[in-house]
Amino acid sequence: MDTSSFSYLESRKLVKRWSGPIPALINTFLILAFFYLTWWIFQDPRGLMRMYTPYVGYMVCRWMLIIFIWLAYIFDFWPFKRTWLNKTHPLIKGAVLTIVSVAAMILLIKGFFVEILGNFGIAYFNPDRLIAMGITDFYSIEYAAEAIMMFAAIASWLSPSWVVACENAPWQKIGQPARGITIVLVTFFFSMVVYFVTMHSHMAILFYPWQKFTAICPPYWEQFANTVSGNFHIAWIMCCTVVVWQFETIWERYPFNLIKHDTLRRVASFFGIIIIALALCFFLFYAQDLVWGQTIRGTRRLMAPDWRWLHVGEMAIFWLVPTLYLNFYCGNWPTKFSRPVNVCIRTIVTALLAVVVYVIYYKTSHLFLGTQKGFSHPQQFPMIPMIWLINIFLMNVWFMDGWPGWKAVPKTEEELAEVHEEIVASDVKWTPGIAKGLVIGLLVGLALYTAVIYLLPWIGANFTIIK
Amino acid sequence: MSNDTKNVSRRDFVKGAATGLVAGAFAGMGMYSYSPWAYERLPKTERKMHDFGTCRSVRVTNISETSWFNNAHLIGDIHEAGGLLVNQYTLNWAPFANGKGSAQGSYDDGISSIKDLLPHDIEKAWEIQKKLALHPENPGGYSCLIEVEELDGTMHKYLLDTGWSYKWMNDCFKREGIDQMLRDQEIEALFISHEHWDHFWGLPVTMKYDNRIPLYVHDGFYDEGLQYIKDSGYKGELTIANKPVTPIIPGMALLKFDVPIINRVFGETSLAFNIKDKGLVLISGCCHQGILKFADFAYANLKYDNDKFYGIYGGLHISPFEDWDPKYDDLVISLGQWGFERIGCNHCTGHLTAKKFIESGYPVVRGTARFRSASKDYLGNGDKITFGC
Repeated sequence: MDTSSFSYLESRKLVKRWSGPIPALINTFLILAFFYLTWWIFQDPRGLMRMYTPYVGYMVCRWMLIIFIWLAYIFDFWPFKRTWLNKTHPLIKGAVLTIVSVAAMILLIKGFFVEILGNFGIAYFNPDRLIAMGITDFYSIEYAAEAIMMFAAIASWLSPSWVVACENAPWQKIGQPARGITIVLVTFFFSMVVYFVTMHSHMAILFYPWQKFTAICPPYWEQFANTVSGNFHIAWIMCCTVVVWQFETIWERYPFNLIKHDTLRRVASFFGIIIIALALCFFLFYAQDLVWGQTIRGTRRLMAPDWRWLHVGEMAIFWLVPTLYLNFYCGNWPTKFSRPVNVCIRTIVTALLAVVVYVIYYKTSHLFLGTQKGFSHPQQFPMIPMIWLINIFLMNVWFMDGWPGWKAVPKTEEELAEVHEEIVASDVKWTPGIAKGLVIGLLVGLALYTAVIYLLPWIGANFTIIK
Repeated sequence: MSNDTKNVSRRDFVKGAATGLVAGAFAGMGMYSYSPWAYERLPKTERKMHDFGTCRSVRVTNISETSWFNNAHLIGDIHEAGGLLVNQYTLNWAPFANGKGSAQGSYDDGISSIKDLLPHDIEKAWEIQKKLALHPENPGGYSCLIEVEELDGTMHKYLLDTGWSYKWMNDCFKREGIDQMLRDQEIEALFISHEHWDHFWGLPVTMKYDNRIPLYVHDGFYDEGLQYIKDSGYKGELTIANKPVTPIIPGMALLKFDVPIINRVFGETSLAFNIKDKGLVLISGCCHQGILKFADFAYANLKYDNDKFYGIYGGLHISPFEDWDPKYDDLVISLGQWGFERIGCNHCTGHLTAKKFIESGYPVVRGTARFRSASKDYLGNGDKITFGC
C-alpha cells in the first residue's frame, strides 16, 4: 500500500525494544533526567538562563508546544522527506527537528509578534514600545511575553482540533506543504479572532485608563466569572486543549467517531470537545470552592476568582500529563476490553493519576524546581514545568519514535487499512442492551459526580497538601 | 434466549454503561457545578468571634514608606538576576552584597563583610556594602510607629517593620524621634511583617538603639533571616508567630498568613485593632495576603465593635512596581462593598492604585508628599493617621 496517503505518525508502528515494563522505565528515567537538565539550563530561577521570570519561560514552552504540533500534526514533518524520517537515527532526528522548531519559534515570536504586530499593530506585543510608554523594562518584557503566550494557548487548542476533530477537512486530500500552510493560516486566523474576543481586553486593561485609550470592549464576562481578568478564558481554553488530546489519545475519538456522516462527525467532535471542556472547567472551579471556600472578589491569590480560574487551567494540565504518558508509554492501557470500557477505565485511571501528580507537585516541586511552596504564588505557574515535560514527551515520541525504549517500524498493509477504517468506529452499535446500559451508566456517572462533590469539602477540611 | 444472545446483550450493556458513566459524570460537572443551586449548598462562614478586647484609638506615624527610590533600578536588578522567583539574598543588594554582580550574592558573603560592625557602627557597615552592591543609592525602607491608647488611657508604642537602608532608616528614625524612643525603651515590640529586603534588612538600625526589644517574626522565615536577627546583634526575646491569631494587648492582635511571596519569601503577619465604638482597623506591612483576604480572615475569626470594618493602613500590595493587571481592577471595583471609612495607603499600594481608589470615591486619606514621598494621593513619609478619637 502507498504510505504517502498516511501521515508519518500514522504510517509507523512503535515497537518495544525490550519486553515488559523496561522500555517505559528507561524512557521515563531518561525523560525525567532530560527534563531536569533542560529545566536547569533554561527555566530554573537558580539555573543558567532563568527564563522562568515567569512569562518569558511560559511563552517559550507554550510556543514550543504549538510548533511541535504544527510540525508533526499539521505539516506532517514537511519539509523533511519521509525517507529521511524513516532512516535517520532517532537521536539525530530529535535534535534536528527540535532545533528547527526552536528556530521557527524564534522567527515567529521575534519576527511576527514583536517586530510586525508589535511595531505596526498592537503596541503590547513589542517590549520596546512599552518601554517607550514609560513601563519598566522588566514588565514591558513580561507583558509582551504574556500576550504572545496567550496566543499560543489558544492556538494549541484550535490547531490540533482541526486535525483531531475536523480531520483536516476540507483540505485533507491536498498535499504538503499546501495543506499545512492552509490549516496553519486558518487556525491562526481563528486563534486571532478568539484572542481578540478573550485576551485583548485583558491585555488592554494593563493600560490606564483602559477603555479610553485602547479601544476595547469592557470585559463582557465580568458578571459571569466574577472578575475582569482574562484568566476566565484561560480556564476553558486550557480545558479545551486538554480535552482535545484526551479525545485523540485515551478516548480514541470515541464516541463521536460513531457518527458516519463526515460533516456531522467533524462538527460534533469540534463542538463536543468544547462542551466537555466547559463541563470540566466549571467542575474544577466549583471543586476549588468546595475545598477552599467561596472566592472573594478583589482579593489576591488562593481566594481570588481570577486565580481560581487560572488554577482550573493548571489542574487540567495536570490531567494531560498522565493522559499522554498512558498513551505514549503504557500502550494506551487497557486495550483488552471493548472500546467504551477501555475509554472509561483510562478516564478514571488518568483522573486519579492527575490527582497524584498534583499532590506530588505541590508537596515537592519547591524542593527541586527553584520555585516556592504554596498554591497561589502570583509568579508561579505549574503549567510551565508540566508543559515543559509534555514537550519532552512529544519530542521523544513524535520526533524520536520513542527512542530508546521503542523503535519505529512500517505498518503492514492490514494495519494501514485499519487506520482508514478507524475514522468511523464500527465496534459499538445501537442496541437495546446499549440503551439500557447507557441509562444506568448515566445514573452511575451522576452518582459518582455527586459523591465527589460531597467528598471534596471533607477532603478540604481534613487533608493539607502544603504544610 | 441463547447464551450467545445473552453474552452479546451483556457486552452491549457494559459498553453502554461505560459510556454512560463517563457521559453522566461530565453531564453533572457541566450542568450543576457552576449553577446557583450548587452554591446554595455551600456552608456559610462560621464566625469564631474571638474576643481580643477593645482599645480607644490607634495612631500611625509613617516613618518611611519609600522602600526604594528608582523603580526601574529595582525591577531591573531583579530582572537581570532572573526574575521574581530568584532568592532575595542572592540579588547582590546591600547589606548582602559581595561585589560579584547580579545574582551572585550570598548571605554569608555579605554579612561577613559587616558582621563585626553590627549594630554599633551601621554607618560604616553601610558604606562598606555600598561599594559592593548593585544600585546602592536605591534602598529606602518601610517602617511605621503605631501608638495604641487603651480604654483606661494607657499608651503603648510599637514598630511595624524596620526598613532597608541603614542610612536612610537611621535618618528617618531621627526625623521622627524613634531613635530616642528606642533608647528610652518606650517602644514595646518590633513586628516584622515579612522577610523582604525593604521591611527587614534594616534590622541593625533598630538594634543600634535597642537590641533587647521584643521581636515578632512569621514562622516562614528562612535560615538566612533567622541568622540575620542574631548577626544584627539581637539579644532580646524572639517570638516566632505560629498561630493564626496572637493577642498582644486588649484590642490589638497579630494575625498570621501563610502566603508565598516574590523573591523566595514566605508568609506575612499583619495587625488588627478593635477601636471602641468604631470597628476594626487593619494595619499591614505589604499585605501580600491581599487586603480583602485580611478583612475576610478578621471577619471569620475576630469580634469587633459594630461588626464594622473601620480603617486600613499600610502597603496594600496592589501595584508595587507600578505594574498593572486586570485582577487589580477587581479590587478597585469591589473594595467599596466592605465599607471602610478611612483608607491610609502607601508604599506597595502603588500610585496608580491610590489614584483609582480616589476616582472611585473611596475615603483615601491624602498625604503631604514630603521627605521624598512622590505623591499626595497617599500618606507619605512623616504623615500620620489616627483611627478612633
